[in-house]
Amino acid sequence: MLGLLAVSMAVAQESAPRSEPVHFRAVEVFVDSKDKALAAYQLEFSASGGDAKIVGIEGGGHAEFREAPFYDPKAIQQERVIFGAFSTASADRLPKGITRVATIHLRTVGIESPRLTVKVSAAATAGGDKIPITASAKEKPHDEN
Amino acid sequence: MAPARRVVMGCVAALTVMASVLLWTGCTRTPVGGWQAGGPSTSSGVEAIPGSFPSPAEELWIIARDSNAEGEPTEDAAGSGALIAETNEGTEVPLPLKHTDVRAEVLGYIATVRVTQQFHNPFDAKIEARYVFPLPHNAAVNEFVMTIGERRIRGIIRERQEAEQIYEQAKHQGYVASLLTQERPNVFSQSVANIEPGKEIDIELNYFHTLAWVDGWYEFVFPTVVGPRFNPPGSTAGIGAVPRGAQGGSEQATQVEYLKPGERSGHDIAIQLGVHAGVVIEETECASHVVTSEAPSPDRLRVALAPNDRIPNKDFVFRFRVAGSQLKTGLLTCHDERGGFFTLMLYPPKDRAPLARKPLELVFVLDSSGSMSGRPIAEAKQAIDRALRRLAPNDTFQLINFAMRASRLGAEPLPATPQNVRRGLDYLDQLEGAGGTMMIEGVNAALDFPHDPERLRFVCFLTDGYIGNEAQILSAIQEKLGASRIFSFGIGSSVNRYLLEHMAKVGRGAVAYLGPNDSAARIMDDFIERIRHPALTDVRLDWEGAAVTEVYPRRVPDLFVGRPVVLTGRFEGRALTRVRVLGDAAGQRMEWTVAAAEGAEEHRGLPSVWARLKIADLSDQALLDRNGEWASEIKQVALDYGLISEYTAFVAVDSSRTTAGSEGTTVPVAVPVPEGVKYRTSVPEK
Repeated sequence: MLGLLAVSMAVAQESAPRSEPVHFRAVEVFVDSKDKALAAYQLEFSASGGDAKIVGIEGGGHAEFREAPFYDPKAIQQERVIFGAFSTASADRLPKGITRVATIHLRTVGIESPRLTVKVSAAATAGGDKIPITASAKEKPHDEN
Repeated sequence: MAPARRVVMGCVAALTVMASVLLWTGCTRTPVGGWQAGGPSTSSGVEAIPGSFPSPAEELWIIARDSNAEGEPTEDAAGSGALIAETNEGTEVPLPLKHTDVRAEVLGYIATVRVTQQFHNPFDAKIEARYVFPLPHNAAVNEFVMTIGERRIRGIIRERQEAEQIYEQAKHQGYVASLLTQERPNVFSQSVANIEPGKEIDIELNYFHTLAWVDGWYEFVFPTVVGPRFNPPGSTAGIGAVPRGAQGGSEQATQVEYLKPGERSGHDIAIQLGVHAGVVIEETECASHVVTSEAPSPDRLRVALAPNDRIPNKDFVFRFRVAGSQLKTGLLTCHDERGGFFTLMLYPPKDRAPLARKPLELVFVLDSSGSMSGRPIAEAKQAIDRALRRLAPNDTFQLINFAMRASRLGAEPLPATPQNVRRGLDYLDQLEGAGGTMMIEGVNAALDFPHDPERLRFVCFLTDGYIGNEAQILSAIQEKLGASRIFSFGIGSSVNRYLLEHMAKVGRGAVAYLGPNDSAARIMDDFIERIRHPALTDVRLDWEGAAVTEVYPRRVPDLFVGRPVVLTGRFEGRALTRVRVLGDAAGQRMEWTVAAAEGAEEHRGLPSVWARLKIADLSDQALLDRNGEWASEIKQVALDYGLISEYTAFVAVDSSRTTAGSEGTTVPVAVPVPEGVKYRTSVPEK
């Protein structure tokens, strides 16, 4: 039940005060639990190329997953972040369908696009039953000021 | 079982892989104290300075504007358009740190502490806030979250240099970003970039540490201010002390700005402490602050700082004593995917009074520098006075004092006859606090003269520890210690506990603290009582078959009366349930057993506590061996366990939005000098 989605990102054209341009990007991570209420998940996100560095992990859009997820400090040394969260709320308060569960903040250097990968490790309902979900990632458009 | 609990158990059962993810941060995860996160939610504009002011009738409001030569406000100058309030309590200076909220929970003898620093921008231009602040020296800081409105961004642990580079890049490009670095094991720097006018940003830290247990009392300490440090001439790696507004004036790597006399900031602090001792709590004490407390059950406490005692200018020290003379259990364990971790509190056995001991050679080393001027040096003198009067005539003593130079009572220690004690007291009387703190002079004077082999030699340092060259002092003690034992006494309301505890650790002695409201007589009586009985030496541990590794401290220190030693280590395989302890006291062999309590709870903070101790051990070794690969090893442990260290830092960037305009002016958070410390003698004016 592994979902795998690679997302290539357009290279921003803005210049930076270095020989190689430095960019900061926000990548939103979504899961789709279809008609099942999502109580818990674990994902693995990685960014390779473009000297990508993870510089922050933000919580999701739904109230039950707003807290910034925890991550494995060992994995992040390879610019992989294994993160997960769970909610103890009742099923009627949990999200169904497509839900933004996190935003990964990245710094990239140079013109190479980082290759982003999201893998699903596990997901479950409030009753503890495993459910199939898919995951995807999308760069968030920049808010200027 | 409650419904919510059932859901959690169900999830964990179904998601074993995910459960292991959650274990990085501990065996279980519950909110600290179970209390709601507090803190103001108001968003302040430039026309109002948040903070707690007296009623308007008591105030005179003055609009203060930084001006350029033409008298016009400069766009980026911090202070532009901000309000300065003149109140009965002095001039209130607008600063970017509004409030610090502390929620601590003690389980057994391990504390989990969550600190939230609420930054804001009271100016009309964008700023970067910088705040140098203390935490306990053994705090294992493993979480860092930046909150912007309702958005919470978890910071990432990285090599320090890399984190600093990322932060600077984000700052220059206008992103809101934050950086946490460690300047000393007990001094940290917090930077928050691109705080827009009127906006608020919260920074949340989480750490674990073990509590001290002294003479039957547990002690929880939260330091609130870094005291003004002295740095030897020529040094640049220290922690400088300068008046507010003197940016870069100290020429030290880290600098703390101090509010001048008559100034105050709106920064206040709230502390809530929950205690679950596991046994009946018989007595509590908070000499440092006014607190309110309640006991939901005989083994639990809830304590809160009183609303009228929230100025962050002294250590918060709360003590509690539990039933019986010892803990419910001295052995705590935790298992996760990395293996087993334990912490063990070793108590010296009782009833050693009949054992003979050698006479004493007591050397008192008194810090008579400027920061000790006034009440601190008076308290230190009282303490020495008390100790001298309790010596036996066949003991000897020496008095040494140091500021920029060291001087001493006599060429060699004197027998503690009534005449010599009188002479010593007269010597003490004429000492006053003035000048710099060349502690190395005191260390050399105390440890360089020959040791009388017929006596047990104890060197007692009485100091606030306000120096920036700790490594030099610890290295000198390690080199010169010989057969001496060092007892350090922290004098004052907000002392350098890292230095004092490490002096005692390196000196194989113990530490004690004499705060403004503590009894000097009681502290010294306890000390004399402690050293009158022979210590348990050559302590060995039999793990009874358990595969135990990497125990810190590596060498078990001598066990003095009333002073347990905490050992922390790892184990593989079967659970660690019992430990046999062997040692010698005055030539007699002693032996006893420590066991884990039946059904004892695991503590999720143990892996972090262990990793922090390993880092401290590696740092201590680096003091002696400058050529070792210590930095690399420290960095790897810190990265693997997600901990801040000298070589790692937390960084968080909000990359979803850039702020308008240039990166803004840096505004240091000026702090008050600690209570009892004189600004005039401790903060050099340029």
